[in-house]
This record gives sequence, structure tokens and C-alpha cells, in this order.
Amino acid sequence: MPKLTIDGREIEVAAGTTVIRAAQQLGIDIPHFCWHPDLSVDGNCRMCVVEIEKQAKLQISCNTAATEGLVVHTDTPRVRAARRSTLEFLLVNHPIDCPVCDQAGECYLQDQYQAYTLHDARTELEEKVHKRKLVDLGPILLDAERCVLCSRCLRFESEVVGTSTLMFANRGNRTEIATFQNRPITHSYAGNLADVCPVGALLSHDFRFKMRVWFLASTPSICPGCSTGCNVYVDQRDGEIYRLRPRRNPEVNKSWLCDPGRAQYKQIGSPERVAVARTRRGAEWSAVPLAAALDVLAAHIKGAGRALAILGTPQATNEDLRALSTLADTTGARLDFRVGDPELKVRELEDGILQRADKNPNTQGALDLGIARSGVDEIIAACRRGEVAVLLLQGPELLRLPAAGVFLEKVPFVAVMATHNEPALERAHLILPAAAWAEIDGTFTNYQRRVQRILRAVPAPGEARPRWDLVGELLRRLGAPLAATSARELFGEVVRAVPEYAGLDYRVLGESGRVAISVGANGHSPLPQV
Amino acid sequence: MATRVITVDRSLKPGIWPLVLGHWETLKNLVRTLILRQASTIEFPEKRRNVSGRYRGIHILTAREDGTPKCVACFMCATVCPAECIYIESGERPEKTIEKYPTRFEIDLLRCVYCGFCVDACPEEAILMSRENDLVGTTREELIIDRDRLMARAKLLDVGTGYHPSEHDVRRPVRIAAIEKLKQERGIGNSRPPRG
Repeated sequence: MPKLTIDGREIEVAAGTTVIRAAQQLGIDIPHFCWHPDLSVDGNCRMCVVEIEKQAKLQISCNTAATEGLVVHTDTPRVRAARRSTLEFLLVNHPIDCPVCDQAGECYLQDQYQAYTLHDARTELEEKVHKRKLVDLGPILLDAERCVLCSRCLRFESEVVGTSTLMFANRGNRTEIATFQNRPITHSYAGNLADVCPVGALLSHDFRFKMRVWFLASTPSICPGCSTGCNVYVDQRDGEIYRLRPRRNPEVNKSWLCDPGRAQYKQIGSPERVAVARTRRGAEWSAVPLAAALDVLAAHIKGAGRALAILGTPQATNEDLRALSTLADTTGARLDFRVGDPELKVRELEDGILQRADKNPNTQGALDLGIARSGVDEIIAACRRGEVAVLLLQGPELLRLPAAGVFLEKVPFVAVMATHNEPALERAHLILPAAAWAEIDGTFTNYQRRVQRILRAVPAPGEARPRWDLVGELLRRLGAPLAATSARELFGEVVRAVPEYAGLDYRVLGESGRVAISVGANGHSPLPQV
Repeated sequence: MATRVITVDRSLKPGIWPLVLGHWETLKNLVRTLILRQASTIEFPEKRRNVSGRYRGIHILTAREDGTPKCVACFMCATVCPAECIYIESGERPEKTIEKYPTRFEIDLLRCVYCGFCVDACPEEAILMSRENDLVGTTREELIIDRDRLMARAKLLDVGTGYHPSEHDVRRPVRIAAIEKLKQERGIGNSRPPRG
């Protein structure tokens, strides 16, 4: 374990650590363009130079190994002069079109100009070398004039996706990045190119001109697109979500996020959201106040006795599922969630990168909480036999089955909690408005059995409430109220119910989550630690 | 120091004298206004006072020669606005040379505090202020002024603008001094003076 000194402070780091990482561990930020924590080192931008005692030349900190006794200075007149010259060179042909550039506000060039140079340009605008602008690469837009040729995108293409679509074309000050014959980028990780680009050369089509980034507030959350559980930031302004960004978690998604995951935000502000409760009489739907709808449902549940069947959804949080299993325990109802067998696909990796075959964020959590009980086939068979008087669905999955129209005929009352309108909901008798993932606090358990928090970023539409809250209201009407009044408290009950989650709470989970301990004692097979 | 007590006799009768004085004042103004024509008020709105060329009145959005807005929807004005009264939506210009322009640009004049920061912040001189200080509306919605109405106000430029950055930017030297101070503090800036 080499021990080195950076700016007068000693630090001991693991062998093989580079100086830039060692400095970061001390909280010292060394400016850089081409270095990226999850890509190989290229060392081309020369911005991260530092002065090392007993070495004649300045060294790039991204490719210098921390060795025993190294004495590093990151902010000396020599270092400042070198940074200033580097930045001035990088900006020689830059178009300085920040007012119309979407990167403004999160641009390395802007930040480092402010921090290290504030120089006046020595080139006139007319003298600058002009390159291609507005090159349409499908989901990504290329502006070669803004590029600093750091090669982050090239390395992302070859090291992460393996497609190597991008290359350097031309020479000298006419060098620019390009795809062969301007072909569009077709893989489903294109959004990351806009993220890795430190400047405004690669920008997302989807986010183009939507909002200036400094207006956006970021809430840490988890992508609900599949069982991988990639860490994200939800960027919103005034309750409207503008984009999802990957949040770095070296043990889950590194710095990446797939394009279908990025598009998850679009469902939140969709005009198809269920905002109020509705009941059906015959073919006529009418809106009812939520409290009245819950009264009706509670009355039906009381009347049904043990002829109640409940289906959970792997789209729900652990807290939602815990509330639901409490309801099943109270009423003695049949309970399951495995519509379409998501539990068989939890760990099946589709593309070798991030996307998994199970498109639910919390199948593992539902398994851990013991929601898989009666069997979906058994519940359907009971419906066919007319043994189910009330069917309560936490999500619309069962209604979507092609055979649902047939086996639901014998069920007198079907209630469903839904976030979005869809034709399948017509098969229910009561629709309860449920808040979606970005509108609630809770936890998801991913394929690694990592329990990760989601945080409320925007308000839910209309009367929509978290699913656990809807169930809590039902339980109160049934005379057996939930002990918990918030998601945080409810997670305490989740922890008591699942031995593997022992010791966890929201504070312990933090921003990057915790992998549950495998004890393998409660019936379902424990997963190996990933 | 001893306290001095003044006793006021409230029972004193003022007599007719104050009444005469008051009437004399009224009579003087009547003669001055009607006969000598020296009124201190004006017949608004037919007559208006001259206001300074730096007056911060209702905003104007300026246009390019082809009639499209000069504004590139950079949101600088909306960012600096202390009243948060500027709402912008941006879109892609059909011709690709400038890329960005405002598809919506609205100022809520009921929230605006007429500070002129938007004019200072604008990198394109796209937003200026007029000398106009009165605007009447019968609904709140009328006083949320949209892009086309803001651009139609450009005709006011013929009678002279109000606050205008290139002519009256009194804060510019202050800003330049602040940047110079920053450079000195951080030990940065040009290694050699810029060319030309």
C-alpha cells in the first residue's frame, strides 16, 4: 500500500491507484477532459497535469501510478500556466455558442474556463476552423466544432458497447469525430455518449432545447425498467420530469444507463395517467372520490370473507408489497404475483451490458417478502370455479392476459390499482389511482438482492396515492390499521419480515443501496452474492 | 437637564382667519390654472411627461431583418429575473444557421419589477425596454404578454427606446472590474495581452 503526499496531505492508497484517483479520495478535484472513472486511461487532453517533486516535467495525474513517497502538488504556478495554455489551445477553434448549446451549465470547458483561465480570445471568430455542425446520428446530435477530441466517446463505443461506431477522421486541426458515412448510432446505449461527452459535441436528441440544465433539480432514484436496478437521477423542474441521468454506482451500472431506461420518465407525465378513482356499472364508467371508492371496496372485501384473492405486482416497492401481504394475512386471502413468470428471468442478462429480461424492478423483493404463495394458476382456476368473490389487483398484469375476459366472468368484483389507462382496465369494476415510481418513497430489490431506495421527485397527479397507502386505507376500514404511517416506517416492517434484510434501514441503505445477506433459511433459494 | 413643559390651551377659538387663508390658497391656484395656464398637473393620457432615455418601461423583443426574433432562447433573462416572470419554450429554427429560437416567450407584467436585469443579461440585445409605463387590461391574462405582442412593440423603437444595454449599461464597468478582480485573486488570465 503506497503512501504519498498530495498538496501537503498524506494518503495511503491501494497499489495501482493513479494520482488523480488518490487526489479524489482526499477531496482534491484535478481538472480533466479525457479521463473517466469507468473508461480506460487515454491521457490525451493534458489538463490533469500535476507537479511531482524530483521529476523535471509535469506529469499527467490520470496515468501516473501512486507510488511510495511521491510528493504531488496540484496547484502551483507551473501547473496553472500549463492548464491555462492547454485550455487556450482547446478553445482556439471553439465556436463559443454557449447560449444555444444544451451542454451549457454542465460543460467542462465552461467550468474550467471559469476556474482556471478567464482569458480573452486571441483568435477572431472568422479565423476559426469550421467543422460540421448538426450532424444527425439518430438519437445523438454531433457538433464537431464544439469537440475537444478527448476520445471518451470512442472508448465508450469500443470498451462498453463493443460497437466501435465512432472514429477520428482527418488530421491536425481538422480532426473530428465521425461515424462511417454518417450512419446513425443504432445500439441502445446511445444516450451515454451525450453523458460521457464533457462538452456539447454529442447531445441527446430527446433532451434537445427542452430545458437549461441549471433549472433542473436532481433526485436520486432507481430506474424501474428492469431487474438490474440502475441508479439514476430524476431531473425535474416544477413537477415536470425532463430527463433521467445515470447515477454512478460501480457495483450496479457504473456510469451507464440504457436508452429504454432513459425513456422511463415519459410515462410519468403521460396524459394517460389515472388521476381519480372510477367505478363501472354495466359499460358505464364514472369518477368517484377516492374515499368513497375505498369504502365500496372495503365493503366488498368484508362481504367476501375468505373468497378474496389478491395479486401483487413486481412493479411495486417492497413497502407496497409488505402492506399487501399484511392485507392478505388479515383477510386470509389467496396471494401471489407471478403473472408471466418474472421470477424465472430476474437474473437473465439480455445484451451482456445492463438490460435484463425481467422488465420489473422488484421481482426479487416480492420473492423475498413471500408474495409468491397460492400460485397464479391456482387463483385463475379458483376464479373459473367461481370461488373468488373479490379480486384485488395491485397492478394490471392479470387483466392483460388474453384469457382474462373469460376467467374474470365468474368474479363479481374486480378492483385494480393502476397508474395508466389502458384497454385491459375495462375488465375491472373499480380502478384506484396509484402513484408511479417517481412520485413515491420506497425500496426496490434488484437482481443482486441489492436493496436500493427510490425517492419522491414529483407530486402524483390528482388523487393518486402510493399503493401501500391505498392498502393502508383499506386496512383501516377493515378495523386492522397498519402500524406504519410512512414508507420509512413500513420498511421497518419489511426488515422484520425478511431475515436477510436484517440491520437495514433508509439511513443504512444510503444512496447506493446494500446487498441483503443470504441466509437461505426461509424457503426460497438464496442468491449468490454478486 | 430639566424637562420643559409646554401647556397648550385647547379652548382657544381660531376665529375666521384660517378659513380666509384656505380660501386664498384655492383662489390663487384657480387663477394660476385657468387664467395664467400654469397648472402643475397634466392632462393624462392625452399629454405625457418626458421620461429619461434610460427609463425602464415595458419590454420590447427585437427582430432580425427577416422578421424573426433576435432571441436565441438562451434563458439568460429567465435565469437572472428576480421576479421569475419570464417563461420561455425553445425550438429548432427551420434554417440551421442559428439553430435555436423561442417558440413561446411570455412576460407576466403583473409580476415584473422592471429591474432591467433581463436587458443586461441578454447576449443578443434581443430584449430591450421601452419608455412606456402604462398598460391597461381588464383581465390578468391580458397582462401576460406573449412573444408576438412583445415583438409588435418594436415600433416603439421609432420614438426612442428605454433602457438599452449598449447605450446605458451603467453596470458594465462594475462587471468588468469584478472579473479583473477574480483573475487577480486566482492568479489567472492571459499570459500575454490579446492580439490587436
